[in-house]
Amino acid sequence: MPRMRIGLALVAAVALLALAGCGSGSSSSSSAAGGGTTSSAATTSAASTGTGTSASGSTGTTASGGTTAAVSSCGPKPGTKATGSPINIGTIDTHQPGTDFTDGPNMIQAYFNCVNDNGGVNGHPLKLFVQLDQTQPAQITAAAHKLIQSDHVVAIDGVFDLLECTLDQSYWKQLGIFEMDAGIAPECWSTPNSAAVNMGPRYSSDGAVQYALDVVGAKKIVFVQSNVPGTGYIAAGPSAVAKSKGVPITELTENVPINDPNSVALNLVNAAGPNGSVVLNFTPPQALPILQAAQKLGLEDRVKSWGCSTPCDTDFVAKALGPKWNKKLFVNAEAVDADDHNGPEIQNYKAILAKYGQNVAGGIGSFSQFGYLLSKFLVQALNTVKGPYTIKSVNTAIEGIKDYKSEQLCQPWTYGKLALHIPNNSDYTVTPQDGKMVTAQGCTPISAADPQIAQYRSAAKAAGIS
Amino acid sequence: VHPLIHLALSLPSWQDEQPFLVTGLALGGVYALSGVGMIVLFRTTGVLNLSFGAVGAFGALIAWQLINHSGMNQWLAYLVCVLFGGVITLAYGMVFGRALADRDPLVKTTATLGLTLVLLGVMDLLWTSNGGMSRSITLPTDNHGFLVGQIQVTTTDVIALVVGIVITVFTTLFLRYSKLGTAMRAMANDREITATLGVPVRRVEASAWFGCGIVAGISGILLADLVALDATTLTFLVISSLAAALIARLSSIWVTFVAAIVIGVVDAGVTPITSLTNYRDMTPFVLAAIALLFLNRKRTLSLERQRF
Repeated sequence: MPRMRIGLALVAAVALLALAGCGSGSSSSSSAAGGGTTSSAATTSAASTGTGTSASGSTGTTASGGTTAAVSSCGPKPGTKATGSPINIGTIDTHQPGTDFTDGPNMIQAYFNCVNDNGGVNGHPLKLFVQLDQTQPAQITAAAHKLIQSDHVVAIDGVFDLLECTLDQSYWKQLGIFEMDAGIAPECWSTPNSAAVNMGPRYSSDGAVQYALDVVGAKKIVFVQSNVPGTGYIAAGPSAVAKSKGVPITELTENVPINDPNSVALNLVNAAGPNGSVVLNFTPPQALPILQAAQKLGLEDRVKSWGCSTPCDTDFVAKALGPKWNKKLFVNAEAVDADDHNGPEIQNYKAILAKYGQNVAGGIGSFSQFGYLLSKFLVQALNTVKGPYTIKSVNTAIEGIKDYKSEQLCQPWTYGKLALHIPNNSDYTVTPQDGKMVTAQGCTPISAADPQIAQYRSAAKAAGIS
Repeated sequence: VHPLIHLALSLPSWQDEQPFLVTGLALGGVYALSGVGMIVLFRTTGVLNLSFGAVGAFGALIAWQLINHSGMNQWLAYLVCVLFGGVITLAYGMVFGRALADRDPLVKTTATLGLTLVLLGVMDLLWTSNGGMSRSITLPTDNHGFLVGQIQVTTTDVIALVVGIVITVFTTLFLRYSKLGTAMRAMANDREITATLGVPVRRVEASAWFGCGIVAGISGILLADLVALDATTLTFLVISSLAAALIARLSSIWVTFVAAIVIGVVDAGVTPITSLTNYRDMTPFVLAAIALLFLNRKRTLSLERQRF
């Protein structure tokens, strides 16, 4: 019998090994960035190489002409590896079961690798230091201190995190750091030392509700999101937008993970009624089961339309839903649908993803698009720095970012000296079309009925920002 | 407004409530399936298998992988899922179940948490959720069904309920009338005496582990379709089945079945009640607590196996 046990153990071990080859990809923290080695790059000089370029189109990704699609356009010297002292950049990102934002930093690492293989930034390679967290406040604040004190980073770029903006704002303000992120927490948009390339859950939900009201003509909105702290802040936006049109809105929350999507779908449809629209603010692991449950129960046509904030803007959602949802589900998209466009910048993004983005498990999608934009804008800002790359010089350049153009956003991106930053406040709407997300509506400004949008536009106008 | 008045005001009409009860029946059926699988193993080996959900989730993810990345026929992939459940559970039972056979039942139960964590870790490694990645399994039976009132009941819903009933009936008859079932019942009473009577106890235990794993695999596929193909969600859905088993004092298969159905129906039925909807995840705990406090107040519940 002991032999039998050993045999069974071996069978189990072999089975697990076989399964290891069966997974869809590996986890992806940027190992190149996590070494935690110290460096004196905080005083790396830009002037030493004499190759400084202006901000506009310095990475070659916005210039006209087909050649910009090639990865060689990432830097000023195609094919030449950057050999100078590294410029250290830090990021903090959520990585926990069920909430894995590492596609963001992995895309940034891919972009940096491309830049480093093509001359770097004024001859200096970019080195990314990634701190991953599990939504523990102490861990996140410690990560911020480690990046500054041990890793000697000169900028915080590409933060994809649930809590970071909330916890580290005062520290960044104290150091004079202007972080660039694709955030979730309210402070990513409402504070002076943070600016995001994404719109986040509130303004993205605003956009989804706005589409249901203005285009679909919904007479009632049912807005549902996770039952977690902070949802009141998010719901305030859609609520203001609906009320400005005189349309009633019902705000619901659901515990996640959702254990009974059938009942949830049924409840939403009953609440909305035949002339209403249901708007979901969930990530695909929660949104998809609700939409599929609605389809199984034959509920997809019982409301005027279904809407969703940006996280649903992925082809795997469109593919999983199938053609029954063509032009029934309308998803707010904070950036252009990369499958639907093919300009020079999108070609460059795809080329970098193909050559350097092996760790970007989700491939083409909003996470990697935002990672690309955060890297691109940072590199453009770094190219404007004259003299040593210090926290002060680099963050002055970041704060000074003004009207950086991108094919992927509806409007030029600006940081600026403002009390709050919502530079991405105009969006697209996409809809499933036979297994792919396609554009349903072009660039549309988010309604200023949301008081925070109104406040930002007023402040930006006063500061001369378009 | 007094909470009770608020509750009364937010109660839906019977007509509005009916569709939720229908959806709850299917979920209750799968909870019953899982609960019965756990009870049979417990009665035979004294192990309350907390890895039941993780095994099912792992099997379902393997099926998803085989269908979407290897192009395997989906029915074959579901068969692989079910067999995976049987094999991994049997392997655990033969290696660790035997090693822990003489330990306290609490130790044996806690050890299955180890398997749960290992499986969860491997699932997170192999099937990451980067970029908001989501997966789903859609059984062909989802495309067929009939209307009950205003809602569509799919064949999968019916299968979930019917499989729960069939497994419960089959297990009852199996334990009562088959030679292996009789041996399992004997082992539940006294393993050592059963062994001295010449019953091949290890083979009987192996059968129980394998059977439990098979049921875990079937539950995994059904729950992946009815709820979501998500490792964490499926792993912890076992709590509802566990609550049903606790209500049955870890002994009665039929009480487990009924309790699981009630949990599923109450959970779904509370959804349209605005003042309670965010608390409905507590349903298994509340019902188990009520049952343990009142229905069994003159008896004791123990992880030691009961005579039956």
